[in-house]
Amino acid sequence: MSLLPALRRAPRETSHLRSAAVTARVGRWLGICFGIAFLTGLVSHYAQNPTQPVPFPTSPSWGYRLTQGLHVTTGIACIPLLLVKLWSVLPLLVRGLPSGWAARARDGAERASIAVLVSASVFLLVTGLLNSTQWYPWDFSFRRSHYALAWVAIGALLLHVAVKLPTIREALGRDVDDTALDRPEAVVRGGLSRRGLLRSTWVAAGLAVLATAGSTVPWLRRVSVLGVRSGDGPGGVPINRTAAAAGVEESASSPAYRLVVAHAGTTVSLTREDLLAMPQRSEELPIACVEGWSASAVWTGVRLRDLLDLVDAPRGAEVEVTSLQERGAFRATLLQGNFADDDRTLVALALSGEPLDLDHGYPARLIAPNRPGVLQTKWLSRLEAVT
Amino acid sequence: MSAGGTGRVSPGRAVLGAAGVLLAAYGAWLLLSRQDLDRNLDVVLWLAGGVVVHDLVLGSVVIAVSLLATRLLPAVARPAAGAGLVVLGSLTVLAVPFLGGFGRENAPENPTLLDRDYTAGYLVLVATVIIVVVLPVLLHTLRSRRAAPEGTGGR
Repeated sequence: MSLLPALRRAPRETSHLRSAAVTARVGRWLGICFGIAFLTGLVSHYAQNPTQPVPFPTSPSWGYRLTQGLHVTTGIACIPLLLVKLWSVLPLLVRGLPSGWAARARDGAERASIAVLVSASVFLLVTGLLNSTQWYPWDFSFRRSHYALAWVAIGALLLHVAVKLPTIREALGRDVDDTALDRPEAVVRGGLSRRGLLRSTWVAAGLAVLATAGSTVPWLRRVSVLGVRSGDGPGGVPINRTAAAAGVEESASSPAYRLVVAHAGTTVSLTREDLLAMPQRSEELPIACVEGWSASAVWTGVRLRDLLDLVDAPRGAEVEVTSLQERGAFRATLLQGNFADDDRTLVALALSGEPLDLDHGYPARLIAPNRPGVLQTKWLSRLEAVT
Repeated sequence: MSAGGTGRVSPGRAVLGAAGVLLAAYGAWLLLSRQDLDRNLDVVLWLAGGVVVHDLVLGSVVIAVSLLATRLLPAVARPAAGAGLVVLGSLTVLAVPFLGGFGRENAPENPTLLDRDYTAGYLVLVATVIIVVVLPVLLHTLRSRRAAPEGTGGR
């Protein structure tokens, strides 16, 4: 960066908007949104963990829908906030080196920590946005990398706040038009005022949220022109993975289909007709996808507990849930005891009063309250209670 | 920058900073221990690529647009153009994966994924921004100029 001697000697005049007064105000909201996205991200990661020292709660049934909706929504709001914040400090990237080794070392360390913060932040927002549209132009594991870098970003953010705290306090304590903290070269005026820039930034973040949140907030559906899902689909619920993509079209439509329920050597094999002959329950439960979209609907089928009783599985037993699909990370999942025992957990056979669509998991799928969509296993083939 | 690293560091700041370093180190360890080297090299590529695309590509576009705007636009239109650039610029970045519809190529058989007309939606968004952001700022600038003649109002 010191390759640019002209910039090193005489910093070029730049906009008066590039002030700590602006940076701190945008940074405050960026920090809040990053904090919410980080915490809700931890919730989502934990909910998907097979081993949970503290069981993930089954109530409220809309809990995961709320936290994951917040996760994606705050992440989207961060896109305009981060762009404006980085713009407001861009000249610092090409600032000259200080004199003296100690000062240079400190400057280098700060640049390194900022590089980590910026690269991790951009990574999280870009991969999160692309993932929400199911576009994966990379070779790494999204879940592992996004999760690990969230810790990196939040750590680098805390360090950044610690370093800048005196400046942040002073900037937020003064009027936004106060120039006391400005760099001497930040004097170019004539365009937006600082208040105008901040207002535009809040409007940009608000519009970004409105334009996308309809995928999870039903009454915003019509205004969310950039929603990943319109909300349409068989039975009024969108589809994440189709039967064709999962390679189960044949096995799921076969007359030889059986749902096997097992516990400690006892095994029961049920056709869809057998399941339909059992007492049917209806529950209104949301499908809340990790990608941030969600939809609530009425599911009808057999209470999972009723099926476990057929094989004398004790209460509290965990259930290994296996799908007909032959590959995929979520082919087999573990249903914790509290979910297995919850009265609202169903092996669903119908959705919105119609037989389950093949793409929704026909002949039978799992639906439980407050559970990430990827764990609501479709095309069930085996339920094994383990103690 | 002046207040940045100088002066005495309070215990609260020191604890916050140390906690930050620990959390970031935990994240780095998570990354390195749960994924093989080839995949992590791809992560590094994306980490660096994000910064390069932001700083060089987006940065150059914004500088070029700003320069053009200051050359071509009358002073009275500059605040409105600035507001438009902030809002439309960031919404356009957000819209890229929707307008491209790249996710649909991974799941062509799924009619419920990316199932809107995003081009029309984006144009609606642009029109909305012009009506609720750009025009009001322009009217405001015009009005304050009339109130303060000689063009000092906008300065």
